[in-house]
Amino acid sequence: MVQDEHSLLRENIPAYALGTLDVQEAAALESHLQTCESCRVELGTYRAVSDSLLASIPLRLPSPALRNRLHSRLPSAQKQKLMRPRWNWSFGGLAMGGALALLLVMNLVSFQQMRQIQNQQTSLMQQIKSSQFALSMLAYPSTEAFPIADQQLSGSVLVDRERNTVALVMWHLPELSDDQIYQAWLIQPDGHRVSAGIFLPQVGESYTTQPIYSKQDLSEFIGVGVTVEPAGGSDQPTGPRMFAVEF
Amino acid sequence: MTELNDTELVARVVRGDEQAFLALYDRHSARVYALTLRILGEAMLAEDATQDTFLKLWSRARLYLNERGSLLLWLLTIARRTALDRLRLEARRPMLSDSQEPEDAWQFIADMETLSDESRWRSMYFAVQSLQPDHRKVIELAYYQGMSQSEIAEVLGWPLGTVKTRVRAAMDILRAKWNED
Repeated sequence: MVQDEHSLLRENIPAYALGTLDVQEAAALESHLQTCESCRVELGTYRAVSDSLLASIPLRLPSPALRNRLHSRLPSAQKQKLMRPRWNWSFGGLAMGGALALLLVMNLVSFQQMRQIQNQQTSLMQQIKSSQFALSMLAYPSTEAFPIADQQLSGSVLVDRERNTVALVMWHLPELSDDQIYQAWLIQPDGHRVSAGIFLPQVGESYTTQPIYSKQDLSEFIGVGVTVEPAGGSDQPTGPRMFAVEF
Repeated sequence: MTELNDTELVARVVRGDEQAFLALYDRHSARVYALTLRILGEAMLAEDATQDTFLKLWSRARLYLNERGSLLLWLLTIARRTALDRLRLEARRPMLSDSQEPEDAWQFIADMETLSDESRWRSMYFAVQSLQPDHRKVIELAYYQGMSQSEIAEVLGWPLGTVKTRVRAAMDILRAKWNED
């Protein structure tokens, strides 16, 4: 390698440690690092700086409610909710019943989808407390539901254009290998994908709900999709597509 | 639980020990939340990102390898990525945080006389605050807003070469400070 070329690559090491190199420059440096020990050592010294930037921010305490919310997502809390007797649901159960009836009416497409929706009804009733976001969307008359019809999984994409929110309700989302993650994408008319978050299948549940918040108006998008990506996510879809739904 | 170190607690989390998991949350949530709040700028979004980070710890605890670094840095790396994903989704304009921080936030930091990680991190915090404004800006946008050098150049209206020079200079200053301690 010409010395000038090596020097140019070496100059990019601080920016690489900071995660701010453009894609092509990062790829070129990564290729070089595989064969250059001195540059790997240099990178280590700058990585110590970027690591310290993670931890150097003065501490802030989250609200006590966050701990409670986190605790409610753990398996023991989930099991307690499942064991509660039906007569304790009262108003919540009636609201859930009304919301599920709305979902049924909006998804009368085929007998197979009806059976899927009936399965969703049964399980949603059992998981009401852990899916409040999707439940609240179902209760709004402006919410539209678009079925997810795929060989591997089923579910619905709930879209509320007035409130600019989307929720994914996915059934039997396959477990992934340790180095993978699901990533949602909002799809623009020109085909460009905007990341809408990364997530894993819900622990101990047969379904997974994933709310999507968009500061951009939903009218700028024509659909939503989910792909499998390397752990940590990607800037653009690189892995297999689980589903895509136009709305 | 409080007498167990992070590695021991993670081993228990892998076996489904919820108390061990909550002990890790109690130990590290303040620092994780501080990072997500710095990136997202809103308490609700930061708490969502913090919750997502710890849920990823619950489901991926078996992936943590002690020899690759501290659990805290592993958590903070996940937290940064989670918060930046949310930031991109929200399509927010870049925020340049004010250098004023509440004094009481440092009450949890160890004595400066001991060269513990805590004291080195505090040194790094003050080193960043002491950077020239232009150097501090590029560190803020690159690391806490997840922008590439090209994006920084566009946002600040600087030539790309100027951004690259300032990134290198800022990192060299911070590295020298880190090596002093």
